[in-house]
Amino acid sequence: MAYVAIADRDRHLHDPDTFITRYVWSQDHKVIAIQYGSVAIGAGLVALVLSLLMRLQIGFPETFSFITPYNYYQFVTMHGMIMVIYLLTALFLGGFGNYLIPLMCGARDMVFPYMNMLSFWVYLLSVIILMASFFVPGGPTGAGWTLYPPQAVLQGSPGTDWGIVLMLLSLVTFIVAFTMGGLNYVTTVLQARCKGMTLMRLPLSVWGIFVATILGLLAFPALLVAGIMMTLDRVVGTSFFMPALLSMGEASDTQGGSPVLFQHLFWFFGHPEVYIVALPAFGIVSDLLSTHARKNIFGYRMMVWAIVAIGALSFVVWAHHMYVSGMNPYFGFFFATTTLIIAVPTAIKVYNWVLTLWRGDIHFNLPMLWATGFIFTFIHGGLTGLFLGNVTVDLPLSDTYFVVGHFHMVMGVSPVMVLFGAIYHWFPKVTGKMANEVLGKIHFWMTFLGTYAIYLPMHYLGILGMPRRYYAYGQTDFISESAHDVNAGITIAAIFVATAQLIFLVNVVYSLLKGKTADPNPWRATTLEWQTPDTPPVHGNWGPKLPVVYRWAYDYSVPGADQDFIPQNHPTKPGEASVG
Amino acid sequence: MMTGLAIGLLLGVTVWWLIVQRLRDKPWTVHGVISGSQDGLTSSAPKVGLYVFLGMVASLFMIFASAYVMRMGHGHGELQEWHAVNEPALLWLNTAVLILASFVMQIAYHRAGRNEVEGTKRYFSAAGILTVLFLLGQVLAWRQLRAGGHYDHTNPAFSFFVLLTTVHGLHLVGGLVVLTRTAARLWHGLEKASVVQVAAVRQSVQLCTTYWHFLLLVWLGLFALLWST
Repeated sequence: MAYVAIADRDRHLHDPDTFITRYVWSQDHKVIAIQYGSVAIGAGLVALVLSLLMRLQIGFPETFSFITPYNYYQFVTMHGMIMVIYLLTALFLGGFGNYLIPLMCGARDMVFPYMNMLSFWVYLLSVIILMASFFVPGGPTGAGWTLYPPQAVLQGSPGTDWGIVLMLLSLVTFIVAFTMGGLNYVTTVLQARCKGMTLMRLPLSVWGIFVATILGLLAFPALLVAGIMMTLDRVVGTSFFMPALLSMGEASDTQGGSPVLFQHLFWFFGHPEVYIVALPAFGIVSDLLSTHARKNIFGYRMMVWAIVAIGALSFVVWAHHMYVSGMNPYFGFFFATTTLIIAVPTAIKVYNWVLTLWRGDIHFNLPMLWATGFIFTFIHGGLTGLFLGNVTVDLPLSDTYFVVGHFHMVMGVSPVMVLFGAIYHWFPKVTGKMANEVLGKIHFWMTFLGTYAIYLPMHYLGILGMPRRYYAYGQTDFISESAHDVNAGITIAAIFVATAQLIFLVNVVYSLLKGKTADPNPWRATTLEWQTPDTPPVHGNWGPKLPVVYRWAYDYSVPGADQDFIPQNHPTKPGEASVG
Repeated sequence: MMTGLAIGLLLGVTVWWLIVQRLRDKPWTVHGVISGSQDGLTSSAPKVGLYVFLGMVASLFMIFASAYVMRMGHGHGELQEWHAVNEPALLWLNTAVLILASFVMQIAYHRAGRNEVEGTKRYFSAAGILTVLFLLGQVLAWRQLRAGGHYDHTNPAFSFFVLLTTVHGLHLVGGLVVLTRTAARLWHGLEKASVVQVAAVRQSVQLCTTYWHFLLLVWLGLFALLWST
């Protein structure tokens, strides 16, 4: 295919000239990335506080009178939804996707900068709508983050007046924002790479974000469909999901609706969503491990193919969330099989990360600590997934704390490990300052050990049969006294971990004000974002000329090279195997 | 299941495309600038962006269609609350209008390709007017159904009918917004425009044409689904 280049044509690239266009209505992908990141982290802090309130209730029941059952369900729901959608999805794709894609591909900006700007503002609107539900009559919805009908819209559940409507409206708004961002990420990767940057020379971070965005574009419509139909059930009184039922002693107007249909739609989005969060984490952690072990990533091609394979398989496993939903029991066999198949490419990735470390020159600096921490938490979370993927094992464990332990390990803690690793890794490029190493290490160890103290005991509680989503357990025969002690311990660990996140915030502020000025390429990394003429990169990223790429992203410790890394834009030397 | 297969098809196309993109290269053995690789932002970026968007819209309508089929299966259970909608014959006329709109849009695209500004204007605006007619026809179809008095929101078949036609109509409205913006550029300032600006307007007409053909296909699929059930 013949490509026509227009990037370096003599034209203005939406150059900012006022404070407003530079920092507020900015079309620069780096500013948008920071805007996305700050809002996402802000929303995440709200969700963190909610989780603490929840844990206080479970750990010390009958102590905090201000936490009612009604509030408790609202905390559970909002915590889950904010963390999954408004923090993780937004931070990985809107934050890191925006910052890294143009820089790593060697582009000046996203392909559609105006739409990119709109994407952020619509995302902010969705967060505002969501947060507004805390202040409306009845408060936010307490239907659980899965929002299952009929209880999500029936009188008696918390937040059925306004909360559920605002939640659905916020989700629809978020999907609009994601679409505008997602079109940018995919099109930029496909159409704005610099000379020499073939797809197979892209860093794995870009691959992960790219495939995750495609998943999002195909899967979010399912949530949109479910959201629109549920809104109509709630507002107009249609019967898409609402069956005929007695509510508060009165027969409802609705009849024949199918709650299981909602579950199918929700999880057709919900499972790919797990990988929308996980794939960028997989990609980024590969780059962190390779850079800080000074070794090329083991099995690059296999890593790319595994990302693509996991993405494709993630669309045919959704009903493993529904083994106890009352769907056709024969479905279980099919979905258990596909679920176990998806473990194969995932295992390939884990082996390759470990083999990348094998005999590497490992530097245990901040990003590397978090990256190796991720390998631990992800293996633990992944292995418990094998238990839950089997129908017969899942049935007794379903709706117990085993499930809570599993999914927090695999898609809570693990992506967060990568997020912090990534923040510490790119902090020097984004801010021009080095993050404080001591504070960062305290942050890591408190978080890493603390999360194990939270989630490992939950697996035991689950095997004991302790059900999740309960406000209080009271005196029950099968729940021993020691289980209550474990719950108190988990709560203390949760407070410990939350405190560690304050250290992170202190570190960010402290390093911004007093941090050491960063070298343009402090980690001696090969990828393009470290080769920009300015640090932090200025508008347009590359100065007068776009970079040219001569090699893949992982030329670390190449025998015979002058240094232990060769940047991607470093021209080929005489004698090096080359083409063109 | 149907949606699974359809999404599988989309993913299959993605994987096929990736294979074509030399995914079997061994990047660690090859150095230097690979000939034929792109060099910065390409002019086909808006087209690719549109295709990606259409992939998402396709996913949306396929999921709607499977929700329709699944709900219909459920509605034929004990309660028998699914009462099939007797679609008004007006829909055939609407369909013809939309086909015509798509056809006229194609002529506008050809005129734009030959730099015939007046011809482009004429056919481009005709396509817009036909689309508005289609939308009015759809609203009329709802009113006919409502006026019959047999249908309301307690019948899921009718709810789906209104929902699906609305979502399709909203996509056309979005298209009309872009069409109006492009028309504004066609009418004002093309005389003084640079070669690049003229090429941009031509590309906009081309993108509109693709979008209209796609939404026609979606409508034909929806119409077949609604009519056959």
